[in-house]
Amino acid sequence: MTPDGTADRLLPGLRTPSNQVSRRAVTYWTARAALNGLVVVAVEVVVVIAGGLAPGWWIAVALSAIIGAVHAAIMPHWRYRVHRWEVTDQALYTRSGWFSVQWRIAPISRIQTIDSHRSLGERIFGLANVTASTASAAGPVHIRGLDLSTADRLLDELAIATGQIPGDAT
Amino acid sequence: MSGSASEPDVVWLRLSPRSLIVRPTMDLLRLLPFLLGLLYLRSRGGSANYWGVGFALLAVVASIVRWLTTRYRITDERVYVRRGLLSQKVLSVSRDRVRTVDLSAHVLYRMLGLRRVSIGTGRNDRRDGESFRLDALTLADAEALRALLLAAPVVRFATSTAGGEPAAVDAAGIGPAGVRHARVRPAQLGPAGVWPEASAHFDAAAAVAGDTEIARLHPAWIRFAPLTLTGMVIIGVIFGFIVQFNDAAHIDVAAIGPVHSLGVEYAGVPLGLRILGGVLAVVFCIAVISTAGYVAVFWNFRLVRLGDGSLRQTRGLLSTRSTTIDARRLRGVEISEPLLLRAAGGARCIAITTGLRVGRGAERGGSLLLPPAPRSVARRVAADVMGITEQLCTGALVQHGPRARRRRYLRALASSALIIGVVALVCWAASGPAWIWLGSLVLLPLGAALAADRYRNLGHRLTEGRLVTCTGSLVRRRSILATEGIIGWRLHQSWFQRRQGLVTLTATSAAGRQHYAARDMPAAEALAVATAATGQLVRPFLAAGQDG
Repeated sequence: MTPDGTADRLLPGLRTPSNQVSRRAVTYWTARAALNGLVVVAVEVVVVIAGGLAPGWWIAVALSAIIGAVHAAIMPHWRYRVHRWEVTDQALYTRSGWFSVQWRIAPISRIQTIDSHRSLGERIFGLANVTASTASAAGPVHIRGLDLSTADRLLDELAIATGQIPGDAT
Repeated sequence: MSGSASEPDVVWLRLSPRSLIVRPTMDLLRLLPFLLGLLYLRSRGGSANYWGVGFALLAVVASIVRWLTTRYRITDERVYVRRGLLSQKVLSVSRDRVRTVDLSAHVLYRMLGLRRVSIGTGRNDRRDGESFRLDALTLADAEALRALLLAAPVVRFATSTAGGEPAAVDAAGIGPAGVRHARVRPAQLGPAGVWPEASAHFDAAAAVAGDTEIARLHPAWIRFAPLTLTGMVIIGVIFGFIVQFNDAAHIDVAAIGPVHSLGVEYAGVPLGLRILGGVLAVVFCIAVISTAGYVAVFWNFRLVRLGDGSLRQTRGLLSTRSTTIDARRLRGVEISEPLLLRAAGGARCIAITTGLRVGRGAERGGSLLLPPAPRSVARRVAADVMGITEQLCTGALVQHGPRARRRRYLRALASSALIIGVVALVCWAASGPAWIWLGSLVLLPLGAALAADRYRNLGHRLTEGRLVTCTGSLVRRRSILATEGIIGWRLHQSWFQRRQGLVTLTATSAAGRQHYAARDMPAAEALAVATAATGQLVRPFLAAGQDG
């Protein structure tokens, strides 16, 4: 396979994995971040009121509300631009993260299990993730925020590809 | 040989009946502090006198049930272990997934001629309760089992280290190195045919050249023992036990005659001397206990390469342990040097192998290739085991450049500054004396020294088909990983690293620590190393013009 495609703007020596995740993932991440932010702010409000703390503490509450809002506004779009994946007949190649970015290259021949897990939130937004684990406990390769049909297709593809290679994948 | 799933003709085997003696005894020993407590309560007029008997009975019954319900069998294709009374569980693993077979024995096991067998399978050892452990088999059965499971393509069967049972082992020939090659037919297995390949392998083994010794414990190495600080952990445990016993049993240790008089004398000494004396006493205790521990664990240590290329490590003064590492599972070696050991010119050597995970409880000792010993010996052993030049274990590495150095300093100094800030804040809030936070300023030069050492040690190199990475200061580790053992790459770049064009390259592996990282490499260098190590894997994902 000849190297082609655009150079990775984050790490110029690599090329960008070809596929983006589902656009709906942005909505899902936004909703999740907003919900988490709300929970944190709610807990703080309860603590300040129930604890009878000085009014000055409301500044801290407001500050964390602003941080939460900014996080929910910025993180999902940033993450959407970073998260990418690609499957060739030889390897699985992913890029993920936002503030910190991680690239993973895992040979198809070393993949041991492929599974898909859908949280409640992902089900509401019609999303799925695919997890490929290798014989290394260093951490499986995740592709998060795929739409359902893509995830199903990917699962089938990987299952067929990994089933064809004998050996114990270590 | 047909590999049908059930293979009903292969019998299920039991553990040795002698383990019925061992298990209750071990359980009771473990319960001893508790039973002593009960005895003590009873002496004070409590009604707890039947509890001790009850627990003892329970231990005996539990061990009988365990013995009755635990069975194992070895078919041509798979190893099965069945256990459990109410919820029966059958574990099975394909025989070609067996990576290591580890025999260990406490004093009691040795007296009874028993061995505990742990079968390392790589995947199942992650979860508790799913381990392939047979507790216990007779020595002859255990060694035959090990030989059988690791038999591919030929197996060597050396004389046993702790006095075997001659009845079960009839010698078939004496090898060139004076090693007895034995045809093994464990008494329990009955007539031949249960383990069809076993005898054939042993016959073939007789033709193989003798074992070669790679390393043997030299008594002078015991000088490194006090530097391992294992004594510190033991002292901590003993201290904790005394405090707990003190609380639970309402015994005031400080009121006991000799302890009390010692305390009174001690109180009369000036403060400076008291601190000095205390520190010296603790250091002395740590040194003595560490040395005793080193001798107990590593006495008779021997690392041998068997005729079929596998490595066998045997050791132990009272409890013996013998681990065989299949050569096909060996992916690399690690030379580790904790700071004190490094200062004294010592090092340890650990195998990077699939099936034995580094630093995991009971399996921890299994991957050890060399106890704390002179650095030159560690390097020779590492080179010998891997079949590489010693240059790889000693030679200079590619350093990661000034930006990596700056990051080391920045991180060390920033964390020092953070601690100093917190200490100063607490001092100010609690209006404590100023010397406390002024004293904490010493963290700055310490942090700088740490950063300098961390940078000096940081490096990587790719030659002879091995990826060498070195990292750390308090524990310096040089890992030499065969590139065939690399089963994937992870490149990690934080926002700060991105601004400096650095990246952390991690090779993932099914062996040892599972991931071996080279921190803060210049991005281009990281990609070049990954490409050179596993070209076919990485090349398709390089940007145009970066090929090669």
